[in-house]
Amino acid sequence: MKIKHNYIALGAIILLLAGCEKDLPRYNDFQAYSFSSVDENGGNWKTILVSGGDQIAVPEPEAVTSNTYQAELTALKTASSDLTLDQKDAISYWTNNPFLRWNEIAQELVAKYNLIPGPNADGTYTLPNPQNPGATPNFPFAHPPYAVRALAYLSVASFDGLITAWHYKYAYQRPQPSDVDPSIVTAYEANGLPSYPSDAAVIARVSRDILTKMFPLEADYLAQKEEEHLASLQWAGMHVASDIEAGVDIGDQIAKIALDRAATDGMSKAQCPKPVSDSIQAAAFARFGWKWDNIEIPARPVGLTPLFSKVRLWNVPNVEAIRPVAPPTPGSAEYEEDVKLLKYYADNMNPEWRAIANFWQDGLGTYTPPGHWNRISIDYAVKYALNPLRTARLFAYLNMAMMDAGIGCWDAKYYYHYPRPINQIPNFKTIAGTPNFPSYTSGHSVFSAAAAEVLTYLFPQENDLFRNWALEAAISRVYGGIHWSFDAKVGTKEGIDAANYSLERARADGAD
Amino acid sequence: MLKNTFLFILLSLFLAETVKGQTTTDAIMMQPGEICLVAGFEHSWFDHYWEGPLLRTNATVATVNRNTAFAGAAVGLIDRLNFLFTIPYVQTYSSEPNGGKFAGARGIQDLNVALKYDLIDRETSAGTFQVLTNIGYSTRLSNYLSDYRPYSIGSGNQEVNIRGIAQFRSTKGYYGRGSLAYLWRGQTKAERDYYYNNGSYFTAWMDVPSAVHYQLVAGKWMLDSHFKAEVSFTGLQSLSGDDIRFYNAAQPTNRVHAGIGMVNAQYYFKAIQGLGVLGYYGYTLSGRNTGKAQMWGGGVTYQFPIW
Repeated sequence: MKIKHNYIALGAIILLLAGCEKDLPRYNDFQAYSFSSVDENGGNWKTILVSGGDQIAVPEPEAVTSNTYQAELTALKTASSDLTLDQKDAISYWTNNPFLRWNEIAQELVAKYNLIPGPNADGTYTLPNPQNPGATPNFPFAHPPYAVRALAYLSVASFDGLITAWHYKYAYQRPQPSDVDPSIVTAYEANGLPSYPSDAAVIARVSRDILTKMFPLEADYLAQKEEEHLASLQWAGMHVASDIEAGVDIGDQIAKIALDRAATDGMSKAQCPKPVSDSIQAAAFARFGWKWDNIEIPARPVGLTPLFSKVRLWNVPNVEAIRPVAPPTPGSAEYEEDVKLLKYYADNMNPEWRAIANFWQDGLGTYTPPGHWNRISIDYAVKYALNPLRTARLFAYLNMAMMDAGIGCWDAKYYYHYPRPINQIPNFKTIAGTPNFPSYTSGHSVFSAAAAEVLTYLFPQENDLFRNWALEAAISRVYGGIHWSFDAKVGTKEGIDAANYSLERARADGAD
Repeated sequence: MLKNTFLFILLSLFLAETVKGQTTTDAIMMQPGEICLVAGFEHSWFDHYWEGPLLRTNATVATVNRNTAFAGAAVGLIDRLNFLFTIPYVQTYSSEPNGGKFAGARGIQDLNVALKYDLIDRETSAGTFQVLTNIGYSTRLSNYLSDYRPYSIGSGNQEVNIRGIAQFRSTKGYYGRGSLAYLWRGQTKAERDYYYNNGSYFTAWMDVPSAVHYQLVAGKWMLDSHFKAEVSFTGLQSLSGDDIRFYNAAQPTNRVHAGIGMVNAQYYFKAIQGLGVLGYYGYTLSGRNTGKAQMWGGGVTYQFPIW
C-alpha cells in the first residue's frame, strides 16, 4: 500500500511540475493584424538603391473582366478552399506582414552561422571560404559586422521593392480578389490595398535572394520557405497568380541591384591578410604607443575584419566624420580609474549586473547585437500595427544606421587599436567572452545607440525606452569585464552620431 | 552490521551535470530511528570533451576543474522506508594558462531529497536478494547561472526521478547490483531571452532533456564486514537535446551521454561504532556533449540512533 501511495505522489509531483513548464516559443508571438494605415502615397517615398518607385518597370495588369483574370480567380477560389491543416498553419505563420517572418528567418540564420572558426591541430586557423561554403569552417562566419550587413541589404532591398510595389498598386488600382468576387473568403482582414503587384511576393523573393547570397548553404531551405510563402498567398485568398508574378519580378530585380552593390561594397576584403593586419597594428603603435593583441590559445593571427572600416557606408559620408577622440592613455589617471572600476565590478559581481551582462551579451551562436535590435523592432512594428511598407522603412533605417555605426566603430577599433581589459589587468577574469578585436569603441554600445536613435525617432511615444536599453547594452559589456567604461560611453555617442545621418535621410523621404 | 551501514556516493557532479548528484543507487537501508550523516569532497577535471560525438580539446577552457563539497543524511523513517537528502557546494575553474580568461563559478547547488523503499528482502541459503525503489526530487538552492557552460555549477532545473534497484549478495560477501532510473528533468532559465537549439527559441527558458540513468556494480565485503570494495559502471543517456556546435559553448539543452567506470571502497571502524570512511575514483569512458572527466572523492559517514 505504501508503495502505491508513493507512486501516486510521484505522479502528482510530475503533473504539478509539468504545469510549471513554459511554452518554448520558436517564433515571435504575433498574428495577422489590421494595419494602422496603408500609406497610399508610399509609392512616392524616396528609395535607397533605385531612383524611385517607378525605376523598375511593371506592366499594366489584365483587367479584372478579362478571361485571363477570371481564370486566375477561379484558380484562386480552388486554392483557397478545403485547406489542409498544414496550409492553415502556413497562413497563420506568415501573417499579412511577412516582412517580420523573413527578418526572423534572417536572425535564425545569423545565429546558426555565428560560429567562430576553431584552431586546426597545428595551431593555425582556417577562414571560411565563400567559394567553397561547405568546407570546414562553413561560410559564412556570421559575426556582428556580417550580420548587420546581411540585415541591412535584406531590409533596404525590401524597402525599395515595396515602394515600387506601392507605386504600381496605386498606379493600376487593381482591386483585391475578394472585392471582385465576394465569395472569396480571405484569411487576412481586407486592408484596401490594391492587389497588383503583391507586396508579400516582393518580400518573399527579395528575402530569398538576399539571404541565399548571404547564407549560400541555406539555398534549399530558403527556396522551400519562399515556395510555402508564395503558395500561402493563394491559400489565404489574397492574391491571384499575376499579382504574385509581378511581385516576384520586382523582387528579383531589386535583389539583383542590392546584391550588385553588396558585391563591390568592400566586405570581401574586410578580413585582410596578416601582413596588412600587422601593418595596421604597427601604425597604431607608432601613433599612440599602445596596441591590442589577440591572446587566445593558439593566438589568432588576424583580428576580426580589420578592414570592415572600408566597407561602403549608407548615409555617413566617411568614417572620419564620426571617428571619436582618442581613448585615455594607459597609465593616465582616467585609465587607472577604469582599471579600478573593472576590478570593482569583477570582485563585487551581483545578480543584477550579471543578468544585464548576459541579457545583452548576444555572443557567439546567437543573432548578435544587430539581430537583437531587429528582434526588438519586430515587437514595435506589431505594437504600432505597421503595414509591410512602413515596417520595411523601420528596418531599412534601423539596419543602415547600425551598419554605418558598425563601420565607424570598426574604424575606431583598428585606428586606435586599444587593448582589452584582459590584455592590461593581470589575472583579470571575465564573465563574458572577450571578442577577437580591439576594445575601443564597444560594438554593442555603437550598434545599440544607433538602433535606439532610429527607434526613438519612429516611436516617439515610447519616450526614452530604447535609449535606456541602449545604455544598458553598453554598460553590460563593462559588467561583463570585456570593455572599458569609456569604450561604452564614447561608443554610445558614436552610435548616435552615425544614426543622425540616417535620420536626416529618413526625415526627408516623404513618409512623415 | 551490514544492514545498518550506508553508503552515499555522489557520483558525478562534473561538467554539464552529466549525472545529477544524489544517486541513491545502493541497496543499504537504515533502521527506523537511525540516521547516517555523510560529508565529503570530490574533485573532478577534464581536458578533453565531446562536441557531439567528437572528442576534442579546447585551449579556451584548458582543463576544467570542479570541486564539490557535500553534506547529507539518510534517516530510517519506518520499517523499510528511508528518507535521504544532500546539499552540494560546487566550485569550478579553468587551469592556467587558458585562452578564454573566463571567471569560474561557485555556490550552493541543488537540494536533493529522496524516499527509498525496500520492496523485497529475501534471505536464502545462498545469500540475500533485495529489490528496492526510490523516488527523488531536486531543486536549486541558489541563483547560479545554468547557462554558463562549462563553468555552471548545475543545470538549474527541477528533477523528479524514480529508480529500481536489485541486488544479490552471497553468504561469502560477494554482491552484484543493478539499478535503472528515469530522470524527469524540467526547464532552466537563462539570462538571455534568445538561444539557438536547432532553430530559434525566443525565450529564456531552456528544456533540460530528461534522461535514463543506470548502474551495474560488483563488489565484496571483507574484514568481517568492515570493509567493502566495488567496481561499477554508470551510464547516463539524455532522451532528447541538441549537440554542442562547432567550437561553441555547451548549453543546458544538450543531449548528454556519459559512461563512467568507477572503483570505490568503504571502511567502518571497529573501534568507533558507526563511523566510516569512503573513497572512490572514476573515469569517463564514453560520452557525448560532456567532459571526459576523471574524479576522485572521499567522505566520512557517521551513523547513530536518534529515536
